[in-house]
Amino acid sequence: MGLAVYIGKRLVRLVLSLIAVSILTFTLLQLAPGNFADLQRVNSGATNFGGVGTESMVGELETRYGADVPVWKQYLIFMKGAVVWDFGPSYKYASRNVQDIIAEAFPVSATLALLAVLLALLIAVPVGVFAALRQNSKTDHGTMFVVTLGHALPSYLSAAFMILLFSATLKLLPSGGWNGPKDLILPVLALSLGPAAVLARYVRSSMLETLREEYVTAAIAKGGPRRTVIVRHALRNSLIPLVTVAGPLLAALMTGTVFVEALLRIPGLGLYFANAAASRDMPLLMGTALFFALILMVTNLAVDLIYRFLDPRIRTVGGVSDDGH
Amino acid sequence: MNDEALLSVRDLRTTFGSSLTAVDGVSFDVRRGQALAIVGESGSGKSVTMRSVMGILPRTARITGGQAYFGGRDLLAIGDKELRKIRGREIAMVFQSAMEAMNPTLTLERQLTEHLIWHGLCNKAEARKRAVRALGDVGIPDPEKRIRTYPFQLSGGMRQRAMIAMAMVTEPDLLIADEPTTAVDVTVQRQILDLLKGLKDRGTGVIMITHDLGVARYFCDDAVVMYAGRVVERAPMASLLDDPRHPYTVGLLGSSVEVGGRELALRPIPGSPPDLSRRPVGCAFHPRCPRAELPRCQTEQEILTIGPDRDAACWKVTVDA
Repeated sequence: MGLAVYIGKRLVRLVLSLIAVSILTFTLLQLAPGNFADLQRVNSGATNFGGVGTESMVGELETRYGADVPVWKQYLIFMKGAVVWDFGPSYKYASRNVQDIIAEAFPVSATLALLAVLLALLIAVPVGVFAALRQNSKTDHGTMFVVTLGHALPSYLSAAFMILLFSATLKLLPSGGWNGPKDLILPVLALSLGPAAVLARYVRSSMLETLREEYVTAAIAKGGPRRTVIVRHALRNSLIPLVTVAGPLLAALMTGTVFVEALLRIPGLGLYFANAAASRDMPLLMGTALFFALILMVTNLAVDLIYRFLDPRIRTVGGVSDDGH
Repeated sequence: MNDEALLSVRDLRTTFGSSLTAVDGVSFDVRRGQALAIVGESGSGKSVTMRSVMGILPRTARITGGQAYFGGRDLLAIGDKELRKIRGREIAMVFQSAMEAMNPTLTLERQLTEHLIWHGLCNKAEARKRAVRALGDVGIPDPEKRIRTYPFQLSGGMRQRAMIAMAMVTEPDLLIADEPTTAVDVTVQRQILDLLKGLKDRGTGVIMITHDLGVARYFCDDAVVMYAGRVVERAPMASLLDDPRHPYTVGLLGSSVEVGGRELALRPIPGSPPDLSRRPVGCAFHPRCPRAELPRCQTEQEILTIGPDRDAACWKVTVDA
């Protein structure tokens, strides 16, 4: 199967999946009680949830937020815009279009995510290999104990702890904001600890599995220096499956991390998404949900393509020529 | 130690964990241009014996005694650094399944040339030439093209040949083949055996680890029969097949198909090999032995010389004579 055909097929599936996601999200949001107009009324003090406001006010808000348009028509109108990357104006941030908010906030979250996953890998690979090479020793158990702690610690807790330590006590780093490179350090650290722990465990078990492979023994039997055999034969092959873990991890972080962004006052996508959900900002919710789905699917596609590149067995499936026997 | 011997193993002992003795006092010699079969059921310690000599045991195993002389050096004493210079260069190994013993993500070129470079035998360009030649030697058509492929792109037979080429590319003096025909089709078996026979005829010493006497008889000159980690009989191949002496060898011959061109009814040995952590007292075979006599078989059996180049570890053989 040609690569182009493969990618083509995957893209068709991606579009179909996006349509499914949009219908599901839209339906669920419509079914949920309350809406932006109600919340506006309550928050402005004009009425309470159970009560009624003035007839004209209710009418005015409902017209403005399209309650008089049939639901299916609302969906179609939204999707017609979405296809050309126009999600319309946000309710809550009324002066801005949803796509502009995404365009502004996504790079922030993506930068954090990329750096965090990179740092996580830089920690996880050596730690995992180190533990695997000393399987069942005290160093192995000790390392894995620390890793489990890191895994169990939620990122908002480690973020809060780091703010206390580095900002409040040591006064080394800013306690939040988004003004310069220094502001990257705390969130990246906080976000990378959990993934580093997940990945380290994964590297360790994958490495252990590979070290038991006969081809590693065979490479040693060929007189290979220990380090070369470990790197070329064992490590390389045990890192291939890591891509499938690191990919979704990256996607999850890229779509925003509500707690860390809120704690450190970072204008990322997670923060907007959380606010949109709280205020029932339909266009922003729909736009971000679709965008998240898109990111996830593109990442998965990228993972599969990288996998094909790294593992010749997958690369050539279907295109294998045998020896002609 | 035998001066003629290429490899001379004496009284090798290998244990797993604290108490499981997988190889218990094994000795044998291999000469240049000679093929030795190490025969036994799975779990008899034949693979562990050769992996001990190569220094490629799993981490839980430890060599607790013996010597293995190769070119005047005791492989068990020289340490890993020195042993590494010999592994893959002077002693090469062929495994049961090339599918498992070759790295699936590296091309044949990489896998056939890397040890030439490790051992400093030649440069990269020369290594490639030698690898292509080695592939051609084992009968792989179009080796220039094949060398760029991955192991999984070859058929089972081709892959097994490629693994032999990988072992032979450094022109070792001794080749250890661990069940090299077990994982391949019967039609391929013969080709692989012919290939190994050709190597032997050109002067390479071969140690063939096998559970199949039919395979062993095809080109091996001598045989060592192992049971529960010990040698029970040692003899020239022809004498062993004509006149097996140890009851276990007799049983093994009776349970293998068409050995020595004789029609033999299949008579499998009753029972199964012992769990090595609960080794029977005395001769480990006596619980399965049709000729066992207690209590004499429950005492340690010495290796008894029963003829030129022949010995067996069973007191019955002296009674028979």
